[in-house]
Amino acid sequence: MNVSFPLRTLLAAALLWVPLSGCKQSTESTAPAADAAGGTPKAGRKKIAYVTNGVDPFWNTATAGVRAAEKEFGVDCEVLMPPKGIGDQKRMVEGLLARGIDGIAISPIDAKNQVGLINQIAERCPVITHDSDAPDSRRLCFVGMDNYNAGRAAGRLVKEAIPNGGKVMLFVGRLEQLNAQQRRQGVIDELLSRPVPAAGTIAYDPPGKSLTAGKYTIVDTRTDNFDYARAKANAQDAMASNPDLDCMVGLFAYNAPQCLEAAREAGKLGRIKIVSFDEANAVLQGIIDGNVHGTISQQPYYYGYQSVRILKGLANGDKSVLPPGGFLEIPTVEVRKANVEKFWADLKQMQAAGK
Amino acid sequence: MKKLLGIFGLFVAVFTVTSLINPQFVSAYNLQNLIRWTSLFGIISLGAAFVIITGGIDLSIGSVIGLVGSMMAWLLTQKGWSVGATLAMVMAVSLGIGLAHGLLITKVRLQPFVVTLCGLLLYRGMARFITDDQSQGFGNTHEGLRQLAIGRVSLSSAFAIPVPLFILLGIAVLSAVFLNLTVAGRHLLALGRNETAARFSGIRTDALKITAYVLCSGLAGVGGILFSLDLNSIQPSGLGEFYELYAIAAAVLGGCSLRGGEGTITGVIIGTAVMRVLYNAINILGIPTHLEFAIIGAVILTGVVADEMVKRVAARRRAARDRADAG
Repeated sequence: MNVSFPLRTLLAAALLWVPLSGCKQSTESTAPAADAAGGTPKAGRKKIAYVTNGVDPFWNTATAGVRAAEKEFGVDCEVLMPPKGIGDQKRMVEGLLARGIDGIAISPIDAKNQVGLINQIAERCPVITHDSDAPDSRRLCFVGMDNYNAGRAAGRLVKEAIPNGGKVMLFVGRLEQLNAQQRRQGVIDELLSRPVPAAGTIAYDPPGKSLTAGKYTIVDTRTDNFDYARAKANAQDAMASNPDLDCMVGLFAYNAPQCLEAAREAGKLGRIKIVSFDEANAVLQGIIDGNVHGTISQQPYYYGYQSVRILKGLANGDKSVLPPGGFLEIPTVEVRKANVEKFWADLKQMQAAGK
Repeated sequence: MKKLLGIFGLFVAVFTVTSLINPQFVSAYNLQNLIRWTSLFGIISLGAAFVIITGGIDLSIGSVIGLVGSMMAWLLTQKGWSVGATLAMVMAVSLGIGLAHGLLITKVRLQPFVVTLCGLLLYRGMARFITDDQSQGFGNTHEGLRQLAIGRVSLSSAFAIPVPLFILLGIAVLSAVFLNLTVAGRHLLALGRNETAARFSGIRTDALKITAYVLCSGLAGVGGILFSLDLNSIQPSGLGEFYELYAIAAAVLGGCSLRGGEGTITGVIIGTAVMRVLYNAINILGIPTHLEFAIIGAVILTGVVADEMVKRVAARRRAARDRADAG
């Protein structure tokens, strides 16, 4: 991947003369086959793979954790980011199994319906889930966070941002994903002061209905199918149809940056409070500038780091690396103005160390 | 102009119904947003229209937007290029893409569908390769350049016109003059209606087709610049994805025939506006977003069917009148 700048520019300018076989190389450029770890895999080292659920800056931070763990534990890890959902993810996993691999960490896109795929991996090598779990499958453990609790933490940030109550709108890429549903419900339940349900008994409010209890009204949840332009238009439309909107909550990493852009253009920076998930640069800068109240970081760096650590152990037949109960919880961090600068500096350091 | 009555009627109907249900729809803020999105999508739709008028198709528009948008942010922020050099570079790339499409289609005689479908994959892959698949953005820099997309020109204290509208109008006027008042423009329409006849009449069909593809990719490039400036957060794997379908749909809604030879600039802009108003109305009316594709599909289909029915009734009446006159 370390192609020199003139070559890249040349490639860009002369791309029409690149033979079509270049397509494959380009579209899979997220799969650097251990090149980022320093060239071809070393002989005798275990080869494992870290499969994400898509392409996102969030996963770049997780990759930094993977790279750091690779060095620390002496293992080669291929990071695969399927750009086009379930079909791509399945294709990539099948490719790994065909080539031979010593362990896979996967973030299932559709936990219920991918049990077959995960069990297929389990027949060939150790498999763990990260970020999103598939508890019905034969995965050995799950590395991630409790999305419902993270949603409740985001709800508490909203309460801090608008202590006198008000209208809140939620934004998310897709509501089909379990993590999106749980986060959304966490925010709603916290704002409506509902009790924390027992594990596995979360009751979901259907979208498209305004919910009010006490001081807070959740107007709606708008989805954008990962189209950034739609995400921005959704934020604009929310402000247009609700001129008295008080707070916007972005449940996916890119949502709050688009809310921020929309609020800036509408001249409502600071007037409309923004609460975010994850650690996009625009959000962290927004917290420093006082335009974003806070964000819930899942610490994706540790998703990558811990997954590699566990897989390395499993690849060597060491089951003691498995967490008790099959769940290694990566604690979330609530980032506000008070701790944002330290958080950002640490994040940069982690990312640099992972390169 | 009569041909545009149907689509214009649909536009007015959606606009009126939405503003009656929620008056916030016609607030200055919402209208400004609507104008900006219509302008951005209008620019790429005009490009698609030129190709459709020749009877061709360009499926690579979205990927050209992705490539140009990612490259621009990458060159400006990561490589430290000047604004002028960057814009020249990305426009050269997009025009070069159009030229290559045109040459492959006319000289190598490949089908437009195949050429541009390969382009769709190739340019998306290039965008991801060049940027290492990392999200690009301008941060707080290049605020001046970003005004091209997010800037507004105040008319009064209450209303300001988004800058992209001026860009769209400039392009639309030039396009309309080209299509309607120049020999080449009339030849383009003739070529779309019957390419063989046009060639035998001495029209340089190859050169015209190449021009259409260059214009299409060039306008997609302009769109890529504006979309990336507007969003300030560019994902190489996602920016512009499927936008070719929005562009083609807007062009066809606006009266362009996929068989070629038909189309007006005004129609394309109204077609784009219909699509954007529908998306906006769904949000403003608080209709669940997972219903939006179904609603847009149903409304457009109903509008097109109604338009076709009205045209048939009119044609039947005209025929009856002609018969009566003859009798």
